[in-house]
Amino acid sequence: MGARVHLAPKNNLREHTGIDNDCRKVFEPMCPDSNLEILMARYQQGDYGAATDLIGRTSPQLLRFFLAQSASRADADDLLQETWLRIHKVRHTYRASEPALPWFYAIARYVRVDHYRKSVRTTLGTTKLEAMSKEATAVPGKFDHVESLETLLAPLPESQREVIEMLKVAGMSLEEVARATSSSVGSVKQKAHRAYTKLRETMNATGFGKGQSGGLS
Amino acid sequence: MKNEEINDVLEKAGRALPDPSPATLQRIADSIKPSLRPVRPLPTAWAMTAGLVMICATVSLAGASRAGFFGLEKMGILERLLIFPALVILAWLAGSEFVHEMIPGSRRRISPGALLGLSSAALLAVFALLFRDYQTHHFISIGIVCLLTGLLHAIPAALFAWLLLRRGFAVNPISAGLVAGVLGGLAGVGMLELHCANFQAAHMLVWHIAVVPLSGAAGALVAWSLRFRAGSSARERTNPK
Repeated sequence: MGARVHLAPKNNLREHTGIDNDCRKVFEPMCPDSNLEILMARYQQGDYGAATDLIGRTSPQLLRFFLAQSASRADADDLLQETWLRIHKVRHTYRASEPALPWFYAIARYVRVDHYRKSVRTTLGTTKLEAMSKEATAVPGKFDHVESLETLLAPLPESQREVIEMLKVAGMSLEEVARATSSSVGSVKQKAHRAYTKLRETMNATGFGKGQSGGLS
Repeated sequence: MKNEEINDVLEKAGRALPDPSPATLQRIADSIKPSLRPVRPLPTAWAMTAGLVMICATVSLAGASRAGFFGLEKMGILERLLIFPALVILAWLAGSEFVHEMIPGSRRRISPGALLGLSSAALLAVFALLFRDYQTHHFISIGIVCLLTGLLHAIPAALFAWLLLRRGFAVNPISAGLVAGVLGGLAGVGMLELHCANFQAAHMLVWHIAVVPLSGAAGALVAWSLRFRAGSSARERTNPK
């Protein structure tokens, strides 16, 4: 019998609080002080329990990363599985002294880019790509009833979108985002600043937040 | 809107995104189980970097020992003390960046483009400082020979470097190819400095240094074509005729 896969709590995997639906299991670490880095080291040693713990703790974040990048649910599930196959294949490249989360995200980025590159070549074709590009950069007409992260981030270029997703949804630090995106901390700061400027302009232009009681708190 | 308000909106939107289903997670766990066995992590970054610098030095010395150490013999002490340490430092920097390119989630100290620019500019500065013979005898005919010799030594250096790091995983293959090319190019320049006794400033500044950007560009091109080929074979597998 294999170990059960436990889901981490939503929004921040480092905080073991809050379970909000029935299908989600309470995260029970296999040892009290286990964190991603320790689990990765045990995964490299062939520990299946550590592998299932890692899958449970990082997959929600990775799925949200793919969903925030305009992937459909089916695509995001495929990308998640593909990412884990890749992670499994290259797990020896993780070094125990380094933070694990940027390592996961760097591989997830690679899988996402590779997937879209292949899908553009195989199925979409140039016309569809142009349509996707226009769609991705289009400014949404109204934000009043919008709750989806994808729509909120739609006005942003892809590089800024992924930075915002990592910083604000995954809760990563600037240093971790810089590592995951193979860039400098300064570049991440600049992208986040530009993204916020753009988001503010778009939200102000569309009257977002006006008359919303609970939307902006 | 204030930043705090935007943060709040983004966090709420993030919380609204769905989680993967338990069945998906179980499927992932089941898919990796059959091949789950202990793996040997990569060596430390400094050990791999040292290995890369050793490869560059070995290729340069092997090439020069075959062709002759005419350049080294003609050089003065100041030239030797400036050129070779500069090459070792640049090779260490390029090697370190190549290691980081092959390890996902590594901290990047310098971008591949900046590394190429820095290497070329540093060599330009050193050569411009040391060599003041501004004659241009047989500028092109001799220059092309040096350029080709440098590139011919850059190729094995880059290949051995890639072999050393073959267990790594490049999340950006084109960047990794460019850095490997720069590293190989520095080995090529090293060989030329040991061998070439033509100390005309224009010759050194143009033909010797050109090895680095050309080798870097070749590395990026090879990586791009390999990725393109991998994409094409994936397409053929998906849509067989």
